[in-house]
Amino acid sequence: MNDRPELFRGNRIFLACIYWSFVLYVFVPLILMVLMGFKDSKFIGFPIRSWTLEWYVGVFADAEILSTFGYSVAIAILSTLISIFVGTWLAVLLEGRKFWGRTIIFGLAVLPALVPGIISAIAFRIYARWLGIEPGMGAIVWAHAVHNVPFVVLVVMARLSTLPRSQIEAARDLGADPLISFIRITLPYLVPAILGASIFCLLLSFDDFVRSFFLGGYEPTLPVLIFAMLRSGMSPEINAIATVALILTAVVGIWAERFTRRMNKDS
Amino acid sequence: MSFDASAKRGGHAPDRQDRTFWGRLAGWGPYHTLMRLATASPRRQFLILAAFPILWVLTQHLGPMLQMLRVSLTDAYPVAPGVEQSFTLDNYARFFGDSIFWMPFFRTLTFAGVFTLCTLLITYPVAYFLARHVSRRNQMLFLLLLLIPFWVGEIVRTYAIMILLGNTGAVNLVLKTLGLIDRPIPFMYTSFSMGVGIVYLTALYMLLPLYSALEKLPQSMNEAAADLGAGAWTRFRRISLPLTIEGISSGCTLVFLISTGFYATPVLLGGPSTTVFAETIAGFFHVAGDEWPTGAAFATIMFAAALVITAAFQKLMGALRKGDRK
Repeated sequence: MNDRPELFRGNRIFLACIYWSFVLYVFVPLILMVLMGFKDSKFIGFPIRSWTLEWYVGVFADAEILSTFGYSVAIAILSTLISIFVGTWLAVLLEGRKFWGRTIIFGLAVLPALVPGIISAIAFRIYARWLGIEPGMGAIVWAHAVHNVPFVVLVVMARLSTLPRSQIEAARDLGADPLISFIRITLPYLVPAILGASIFCLLLSFDDFVRSFFLGGYEPTLPVLIFAMLRSGMSPEINAIATVALILTAVVGIWAERFTRRMNKDS
Repeated sequence: MSFDASAKRGGHAPDRQDRTFWGRLAGWGPYHTLMRLATASPRRQFLILAAFPILWVLTQHLGPMLQMLRVSLTDAYPVAPGVEQSFTLDNYARFFGDSIFWMPFFRTLTFAGVFTLCTLLITYPVAYFLARHVSRRNQMLFLLLLLIPFWVGEIVRTYAIMILLGNTGAVNLVLKTLGLIDRPIPFMYTSFSMGVGIVYLTALYMLLPLYSALEKLPQSMNEAAADLGAGAWTRFRRISLPLTIEGISSGCTLVFLISTGFYATPVLLGGPSTTVFAETIAGFFHVAGDEWPTGAAFATIMFAAALVITAAFQKLMGALRKGDRK
């Protein structure tokens, strides 16, 4: 914040305009998409003359779409559990400990996040084939889990670096072994980071298209279903499905943001 | 502080019960023996801690990339029973032999570069505004407002852009209502619509590094420069830009790498004249198995090219930073 606002007044107004234009750029497409889901016509396009809820009724009455939702959520939860387990372990190994090859291990730990989507998807596809994992739920869960580990590592490492070492030392002095001092002191301290990372992983997995597309079997995840529907033409039904997905992810995201902030403040 | 909180909590009754559980576990014979064995020496303790994660990153993180490289050097994959798999460089030769392959390759790299630059130009002022002109208390709120759309998935946001830019989309409707056009402009299925979509998807990965770099910038520097008579442009060029070059460099690297990997967005927003390499690569995986090695080779080429470009870019940025210090 400026202590002397009069100095930079002109800039400020100009930059504020850019900021709010950017807000429009990121919100308007989504708002239009939501509106279009209420249009009483099969034809996607403006203007909207009459409104209906029929598309939403259709979505919630369609067992196939509902099961796709469930399938995507199940994949997200399973892959997140694996990512959190592995990512936390990696972070504990990497943070505050010097050993030969640490930089290499750290580089490898964040590698999956840096590989461009399509390349990671086909590398996973080839590897899954080599391991004998059939395309389908198991393959998607595995690919999402590996892809999300780096985010867990980074978030948990950041939190670990602020852990007061004195607490661990005190516990060890009182006779706790490394495992018990980890479970009773380090782990509770990491809870906000782990929760934050979990939500992030859940959303990444739920939203992921390219890995689900290349590793999926006959049953599509939600983004794959929307993609397949889009290839055969736009329809307000897709808008209704996309809107439900949008609300789900945005609500979870906002809730997580507030929740982790509060937890960080508390501790 | 967590320290006080846990110390206070330690005094309550339920926790004492809890403590006896851990105490009992620690005293339990088999557990005790196991722990003593595991922590017999610092070296052994470290090995137990390190074995699983190291094994994981080698087999799960590095493994797929190495396997892709290996497959790209073979003539058939998956191998049919009774067929000998042999080493070959043909898959790589195939790339250089046909313009139908390297055209989309160079197009992808050009697009990724241009879109990265666009993202930088669009988000820098936004990050600047957030970090320098919004009060600390509101900063998080303003940032959170921008984060919301980014929790929504790639496909949904791509679809939103399709609705925005279509022939009967919102932009054409507005232009028509204003009387600027009488026939809709065909934005869709061009490199323009693809750009709008990809910048939309990647903006956050640029915004966050820029924001955290700008936030650290001391305001006093700008004021001192202004007092000495430096105009807005000079202040930007001599102070903000050099001091945020690290944020720019990491943001651009991230966005460039992500941009090269998009598959669904170019398929949905692009047209026949904007085929990207991701579509070429994917093509080899939709057909019978024997095309996989070619797809793997092409993906390896793509990844290597993206890494070389980002490494060169980082080196350039590093040199710029050093040159500025002199």
